[in-house]
Formats: sequence, structure tokens, C-alpha cells
Amino acid sequence: MTETALREGGEEPAVGARWQRAAARGKVRGTTKYVADLPVPPCAQVAVYRSTRPHARILAVDVTQAAALPGVQAVVTGQDLFALLGERLLTGPAFADQPALAYDRVRYVGEPVAAVLARDLATARAAVDLIAVEYEDLEPVYDVETALKGEFFVHDVLRPSSVFGDLSHLRGKRDTNVCYEYNLRTGDVDAVPTDGVTTVSGEFWSPPVAHVPIELPCTTAWVEDDRLEILTTTQTPSYVRQAVADLLDLPLNKVRVRTSVLGGSFGSKMYDRLEPLAAALAWSQQTAVRLVATREEAFLLTTRHGAGVTSSMSADADGNIVAATADVAYDTGAFADVGPRITAKSGMVAAGPYRVENAWIRSRCIYTNKPSAGPFRGFGVPQVTWSHESLVDELARELGEDPAEFRRRHLLREGDEAPMGTVMHSADFVGCLDAVTDEIGWTTPYEKGEGRWRRGRGVAVGMKAVLTPTIANAVIQLNQDGSATLMISTVDMGQGSDTIMPQIVAEVLHLDEGSVRVVAADTDTTPYDTITAGSRSTYHTGNAVRAAAEKMRDKLVDLAAQRLGVAASDCKVTSGGVMSTTAQETVSISDLMHGHFGARGTTLTAEANFTTSWQPYDHETGRSRQVTEHWFAGAVAVEILVDTMTGRVKVEQLAVAGDVGRAINPTLVEQQLTGAAIMGIGHALFDELVFDQGQIVNGTLLDYQLPSVRDVPAKLTAHVIESAHRTGPFGAKGVGETGILAIAPAIANAVRDAVGVRITRLPLSPERVLEAMTEAGVS
Amino acid sequence: MRMLNLTVNGRVHDVPVDDNELLLDVLRTKVGCTSVREGCGVGACGACTVLVDGRSVSSCLALAVRHDGAEIVTADGLPGDDAVVEAFVECGAMQCGYCIPGFVLMTHELLAENPQPDAEQIAAHLEGNICRCGTYPEICAAVTSAAARGARL
Amino acid sequence: MPVLHQPRDLDEACTLLAELDDPMVYGGGTAIQILLKQGLLFAENLVDLSFVPGLTAIEATATGIRVGAMTPLRRMETDAQVAGVVPLAAATYGHVANPRVRNTASVGGNIAHGDYRLDPPTALLALDAQVELRSAHGQRRVPVRDFFVDFQLTAVEHGELITAIEIPAQPAGSASSYVKLSSLGENDWPSASAAALLVTEAGRRTLRLGIGALAPIPQFVSVDVSGHDLETTVEAAKAAADPLIDPIPDVRGSVTYKRRLGLVAVEDAVRRAWKDQDDD
Repeated sequence: MTETALREGGEEPAVGARWQRAAARGKVRGTTKYVADLPVPPCAQVAVYRSTRPHARILAVDVTQAAALPGVQAVVTGQDLFALLGERLLTGPAFADQPALAYDRVRYVGEPVAAVLARDLATARAAVDLIAVEYEDLEPVYDVETALKGEFFVHDVLRPSSVFGDLSHLRGKRDTNVCYEYNLRTGDVDAVPTDGVTTVSGEFWSPPVAHVPIELPCTTAWVEDDRLEILTTTQTPSYVRQAVADLLDLPLNKVRVRTSVLGGSFGSKMYDRLEPLAAALAWSQQTAVRLVATREEAFLLTTRHGAGVTSSMSADADGNIVAATADVAYDTGAFADVGPRITAKSGMVAAGPYRVENAWIRSRCIYTNKPSAGPFRGFGVPQVTWSHESLVDELARELGEDPAEFRRRHLLREGDEAPMGTVMHSADFVGCLDAVTDEIGWTTPYEKGEGRWRRGRGVAVGMKAVLTPTIANAVIQLNQDGSATLMISTVDMGQGSDTIMPQIVAEVLHLDEGSVRVVAADTDTTPYDTITAGSRSTYHTGNAVRAAAEKMRDKLVDLAAQRLGVAASDCKVTSGGVMSTTAQETVSISDLMHGHFGARGTTLTAEANFTTSWQPYDHETGRSRQVTEHWFAGAVAVEILVDTMTGRVKVEQLAVAGDVGRAINPTLVEQQLTGAAIMGIGHALFDELVFDQGQIVNGTLLDYQLPSVRDVPAKLTAHVIESAHRTGPFGAKGVGETGILAIAPAIANAVRDAVGVRITRLPLSPERVLEAMTEAGVS
Repeated sequence: MRMLNLTVNGRVHDVPVDDNELLLDVLRTKVGCTSVREGCGVGACGACTVLVDGRSVSSCLALAVRHDGAEIVTADGLPGDDAVVEAFVECGAMQCGYCIPGFVLMTHELLAENPQPDAEQIAAHLEGNICRCGTYPEICAAVTSAAARGARL
Repeated sequence: MPVLHQPRDLDEACTLLAELDDPMVYGGGTAIQILLKQGLLFAENLVDLSFVPGLTAIEATATGIRVGAMTPLRRMETDAQVAGVVPLAAATYGHVANPRVRNTASVGGNIAHGDYRLDPPTALLALDAQVELRSAHGQRRVPVRDFFVDFQLTAVEHGELITAIEIPAQPAGSASSYVKLSSLGENDWPSASAAALLVTEAGRRTLRLGIGALAPIPQFVSVDVSGHDLETTVEAAKAAADPLIDPIPDVRGSVTYKRRLGLVAVEDAVRRAWKDQDDD
């Protein structure tokens, strides 16, 4: 870790400092207000009738009894909303395929069909039980294998939304469940000579999993004069405003979307969740409504894509990786959500972070009759990392090479061209791998053991592109007393943006810890920001914040130059204010602004935009010279024990490293890495949404397991690698997803090491491990 | 409806409640304690933890009317210089923060019973609280730090 | 929503249970609240025992210990008397759910719930506990070994409530252990559990086994292991347990896996009890 040098005059720099997390004490004492804690007008409480069928036509919805229940204010069906809004009722970031309430057809068990507004939740729920729906069952499509047969279709026709222009060629396409296909063709895998070539292959599976932030989704919407106000748990306030404006055909200034800090999200609270329904109900009924998902309902709102990868990796006689193939199938459920983006962005790294001359990848996004899958920390990349990191490990073993050393030899380095054609910068895979292998003592011998418990070590590397292109804006309001307010639409969900964005401002303006406050996202006041997701905020919003701070710095310098009668080039901002070398004088911000405006409490504003661009990938080859603004590089090494009697895997030690370019706040970066690692342990060992005929069977926290304090390795360390990015704010990049990419394959590789079995399906449940050992004749 | 007498963080509240109301909802909507939060509704996550007469309770599973006359402590009612709060703040034991008040109260209960818990005892007491952000290492460090400070309610 | 009744003494509680339509005893209430939320509770009337005096006492008896039905589970693990007289019970109760749930859930409600995965019944079976039941017609005692009748069905009859559990003292020189194996998170429900109690009386050595989560109801078996060494005891225990294992497949494992895991739980419990005996 680099320690930042003190600035002139012994002043502590803000960037690189371990500032205490914003609102730390409020979070510990519980006084911090989350969305559900904020005051709202008196509301109708809403309960939702959900489909009991995986795929069916809705013949009739009888709400007579429900509407007659005392305390019920209204019962609204999908047909009611469709009559009012027409096809605008269908929303979604990639495809307009998601109705706020189903009106003609239901596509998964749990899809909302009708909503009851009542004076209290108990009444609303009681009324829901009185709703009767008549269905005509359609043939359900439960999995991608069935979906690809092309006999039955989840949607009759593909309907790309207006959000992503590059999907328009899919408009009107019929008779398919594949809503997007990405292909990568690099070199020619078929032309690779077979002489002396070693090939490993496998069929890998990552199941759908649930995000389960502990804060439940909550949306309140009400009409104020002729405007719609929405207070909601969302990572995407700017998107929600646009989506709701489109839904209700309102100008953007008549829709206000507010949020607060979120109690975790991990991708679950973005795009279209409760908001379109709340908005449609509030607007159509001209009343205030509150929707809070129960935990059981939250399981139905979004999931991580289950994904199958059929893949191979080949090395020539000299051990060079000469070819990689991957056929990836993402199960996106009933709605595409952002699945097409996941399919492309993750598909393109399915060959791994290696120098591979020939690559063939097909990545498809496939509809099924299950709850919709969407973004989840890692954006589809953990599923392909599961494949390439298992394959490269097996290939090393086939070749009799050390798995870490084999990777080290082939990992992409600065200036190398990755398989999809983009040149690598600020992605220190080797540094990450070195850090984690050093930490666990990779090269020191260890006893695997011969008794009940067997020891093994494993390593894996992860690679992910940041979401590109995206847009960020920042407005800084500097107060006359030298404190500042930062207006951004980045949402702090625990990742720490409310802490590090002020650090960036403070670094530029030489302000103290605690002097910059971030305003909670509010589309009436905070400027547009694409999304808070995909680990993009530190880089994108951070750059906007830095640019705005620099504009503010220039304004202060100009004011000081005027006041002191010196050239602006003679002035610079220091911790005491603006200093002129010639005048030998420092004017505090407070004096400067008071002098300029002639009043106390005045404000000075500066704003900036930061937009990234990319070169769209070629639709034939999937290649692009600049497919992303920057890369995330991470590595994981573990030491585990396998109980050969029960099959249980226990992670004893885990080291996780991530190249963050530059750590704005090392403490927060380390927490993102270890936190992601702990979540990843769950994904590796037990996290799994289990379906039976399209219905979730473990959708409560009594049955759906999340890692507890008991599942944390005895030794868990985070390693911050800083390979500065040339255009990152102070060299920084994001880190939210880096730590999770390679956890599962690292653990599986350690299981392979300990007991000699290669498991290709997640999770590595004790039963699966024991089964594999039995099949392999290992006792 | 009947009147319920609760002492919450030292302050007496008389609140009208229905027989089937949960302590969680009464505390949030009628007493104004929003540090008590629903996470799972089944006692498995600990976000709704309160101390009732010194003992931790999942308020999402507790009928309010059974707690007439009870002394309830919630995290937001802890004293300003509370040693457990200080330890959590200093150890950076929070990310999104939603679950942390529950951990704070579990820590109080643990330290009241066992002022110097070892790692296994800490894990045994906190195993029913879920931090989805994965702040467990910092939380465990905070419990040890609070124990060293001699935390007492 | 069911109607809540809060009787002030046992007679009133028994009268309510006898006279109300579809009554259900509300003990700690943790399981009932979950069932209510899931829409799986069909009682019309709940009879809350929290204001009935005398149901939370832990008392020494001539033969062991008597625990009031409303005693929170957590007291079973923290109470010195329980730990001294029936250490196997103390250890086993400490494994239920988490400390917070154990503060609320009651000893009587726990067994009345009849869930096949519960931890305490395994120890109560091995210890040969008796369940004390009361109704408007009087009192009766049912051996815990006869208490679990079928999947989520117990010997409690209409109009009855559990007032106490009597647990005979663990015999001098006995050794015991409880093992809980989970297949998902470490803090999950058990996929298999076993309580083992090794007793030497009148020159005979007996292994008493209670096993949980492995059949629609908790199971008990007793094996004469006089003259056995550890290895033959383990083999005898597994042989005796095997026919009782009839697992319910679910997200935690298939029938085959749970069967295998069940035998591991039995073996681990026996080995630990054996070690416990050596340590004494």
C-alpha cells in the first residue's frame, strides 16, 4: 500500500486518508434514516396479488369481494392500468417487456397481477386473498435448455426499449427466447493445429442467487399539485425519473425521485422494481401509496442470472494458451432487465485475463418463466470467471505446472491486447496474484493430510470491464463559512461514496474531514447520473466531482486575485485559504466570500460533467479497440479443509486483492474487498435459489442461507494494489465488484487440490462434494 | 385496541395497540424508534433486535401486548458515550449500516453476561445476525474492543 | 387474524382451551408468528400463557429436574442447575437457532411445535424426559419417547397444554454429547443431529441415542454396549440408528446424502461422548 506523502506545510492529504465513514455514528446508533424511516404523507398501504402460475393467459380477474372489504380504497388490475396507459405500461432498461401489473399474460409465479390500496396493510393483504383470477395455462419454459428448443415462447415478440440504441435491430423479432446474442471471434480457433495441444473442457453452471440486502425495498409515491413525488430505495434515481415520466407521459420536471442511503443493494434496487407500479397507482388514483416488499416478495423482484458455460481452453506443447472457447447462456427469467448488457460485457471476458490468440465466444441472454434476473455485484462476470478459472487451473495441472505460476506466465500485462481487442491499462493482474499467493505462503509446502480432513490451496484471477459509456455530473456549493455541499445522484449503499466524494473535494480545496456533505439523491436538485452500479462511481462521478472542485478552486483563485490585486497565477488554495506569494497573504475562504458578496451565509457554485465514450464492439467479431473505460483486476487465494465424511468445505484462510488504481480511502477499499469475499463464500458454498416448476422453494431467510459470522475464514486479508489509472481521479477506479469475481473458482480449485475432484456446478454443497468424491473413488 | 405501557430508553410511553400488533411495528410507528428495522420477518437476521428487560428479542416475532410494562432499549437510546457504540465507530464496524444497531444490542447483551468473551463466544452470540455487506471482521474487533473498555449499559 | 386470549391462571387457560373454537396455545410465539405470516396458521383463538404464573420455574425433583413450559430455551443453557443435573440438555438447548430466538422461544412450545429438525428432542429422548400435560379434565404425563407421533403431530390432545418437562438426572458416571451437522451455512438448521448418552448402571453399559432431522419425527434407540470398545460402540450405534433414518429430502440434501450424514452425526456424537467419559 502506498502511503501518501504529506502536503506542503505538513497538511494531511485527503485522498489516501482513512477518513471515518460518513454517518458512522448514526449508522451504529440507528439514527441514520433509510427510505422507510423518512416522513411521508398519509398513504394507502398496498398489497399485491401475485400470479400462481408460471405461464398463463389471464382470462378474468374478479376483484368484487376484495373491493367490498371494509377499509379497501381501491383494487387496481393490470387491465385497468393497460386501459389507461396502453403499451406505456411496459417498461425495462433493455426491452420494454415488463408490465407494472400483468394484463394479458403472466410469465412467472409471483408476477404482480392486481394491487389493493387499503387503510392498513392487514386489510390490503386480506383483500388480496379475496381476489380470484381465472387463468388459461400456457406451456411453461423453466430452463434455458427448453427455451433454446424454440417450441414455446415467453414473449411473442421482442420489444427493445429506447434506452439502448444498439438493440433496435431486434425490434419485432418473433419465435425466439433469445433476446440478445454476443459473439467474439478472435483469430481462428478451428485453425489451431492439434499436434501436441492439450485441451481441457467443461460444462459449468452457476445457479440463480438472491441479493438479499437486509433493507427491504420500499417505495412511496404521491401526487403534489400536478407533480408526482416518489421516495424510493433505488440505485438509479435518474433512470427511475425517466422511466416514470415515460410511463405516465409526464415532463421530467413533473416527476421527482428521491432516495436516501440504502441498507445494501448489490444490484437489486435498480431499474424497474416497485417504482413503476407505485407511480401508476398514485397517478391513476391521485393518491399517496406506499409499497413495501416483504422479504418473501423481495425474492421475486430480481435475482442473479443462473448461467451455463460450455467451454474449453487449449495449450500448445510449450504451454502457451492457444485457444479458448465459451458458449454462455444467461437465464434472464421472464424479463430481460439489463440481461443483454450483462450478456455482452461478461461474454467478452469469458476467455479470461490471459493472452489468448484464438478465441470463440457466444453469449446469449435467454427468457424463461422465472422471476427476472438483473444486475448483481459482478454483472454476470462471476459466472464466466467460474468457467475460465476452473479451466486454466485444470490446464495447468494437465501440463504439470503450478496453477499460480502458469497463470502468472499468461496473464495480460500493461499494453497487451485482450482477446476482445482492447489494450490493457491499469489492470495489474500479476500484482494481485503475487499479493494473494505471498499472503497464503503459496510456495511453502503443506500437508494435505490423510485423515478425515484434507487440506488444499487454490487461486483464481478475475477480470471485469467497467460499464461504458456512462454520464456523471456534480455540483459543489461552497458555503461562505468554508463548508461545502456536494450534489450528486450517486447513492451510498454501503460502498462509501458519501465518504470518498468529499475526500476528493477536500483534496482539491484543502478542506478538513467532515466539512463536505453529500446531499441525498433528489432529481429536483441533484444532477443526472447514469446509475450507481458496476463499480463505476469512484471513477465517473469521482471525475465529475474532481472537475467541479477544480472549477471551484479556480473561482476562489480569481476572487483572491481580484481582492489582493495580484495575478491569478500567483494564487493557490491552501488549508488556510487562498495564498498569494507576491502579497505574502492568505485569505480564508470565509473572508474571501464575505468580501466578495458582502454577506454571511452566501454560496458559490461550480458544476462539472464527466462522460465516457467507447467504441462499440463489432457485431460480427465482438471486438473493439476501446470497449471499456477501464478494467477491474482481482485475485483470490485460499486454504481450505474438506471434511471427507460429510463433504463440507471450510475456508481457513482467504486473501483477496484488487487493483483499485488508487485507494481514495484504503479502509473503505479493504472493506469492499473483504465484504465481497464473504458474500462470495456464500455463492461458492451454499447460496442458491432453488426452483420447483418455476416456483422458488427457499424464498425465506429460514431456508435461504446467507453467510453469518460463522462462515468467515479464521484469517481474511485484503490487499490493495494501486496501478494508477491515467484518467482516474487521482488515479482511482472502483472496487465494489472486484473482490467477488474469483472467490468461487479459488475455492473449487482448492477442493481439487485437497481431494482431487473437479466440480463444475455451484454451489459446492457438501452433498455435491461428497458425490464427486464418491464418483471419483476418493475416500 | 388497548393501552400499552412501555418504557423505551427510559421514557414512558402509553400507546394504543391491537392485540395482533408486533412490537417492531409499535416501536417504529407509535414510539418513533426507526433504529428497529425489519429484515426478514422470521427472526433470522437480527435487524429488528431490541433489548427487553435486558434480553435480546426479535421484535418482528414479538406480540406487543405481551410486553406491557416492559423496559425496552433500542440502539438509538443508548447513552451518548456508550462504549459499544464508540467501539463500533472506531473499528469502522459498519458499511451500509442497516443491520448494525442489532449487532450493537447483541453485543450489550453478551458483555452483560460475559464481560470478556473469546472469539468463539462472540461468534456464538452474533451468529443469528446477518450483515450482508460482510462487516463481520470489524464487528468482532469492535466487540473485543468494547469488552476491553468495560462496556456496561 | 386469530383472537388473543390472556388467561391469568392455569384453570382459566384450560377452560379457554376446552371451550374455544380452534384454539392454539401461544407459548414463546416464535413459531406461531412465522406461521401466521406465512398464512399457514389456521387457529381462530390463541391462548397466551405469558401471564399464567408458575410456568417458568426450574426446580430440582427427587429424580432430576422439572422445567416449566414457559421457560425460555436460553435459560436451559445458562442455568447452573440444568448444566449440573442434565448437562446433555444444557448443551443441546444451546444449539437452537440463535440466542435471540432462544430468549423468546419456550421449552414447552419448542416440543409442541413438533418440527422434526428441532435440537432439544434428541437430548430429551436420550434422557427419557416426561412431558407434563394439563387440561380441564386433569393432568397426565407422557414419556417424550411417545410424545412425537407423526410429522408435526404430537401427543398433545385437544384442550391440553404442556405445563412442564421433567428430565431425570443424568446418571453419575454417564457421558454425553450433542452433534449438529448443517449442509448450508454454519448457522443453518441441522441436516442431521444426534444426542448420545453413555450410561453405566448395574454393570451394564448402555448407549442411548436421540436423532433429529432424519425422519418425520425425532427418533430414539438404546443399545447395550457392555464390553464394547469405542470402535465396536460406534459400529453398534450406527447399526442401531440406520433403520430409524428415513430422511425428508429438501434444499439441504437428498435422502441418500442425509442418510449418510445421519450416520456421521451418530458416529461423531458417540466419539465425543466417549471422549467426554475419558476426560472425566
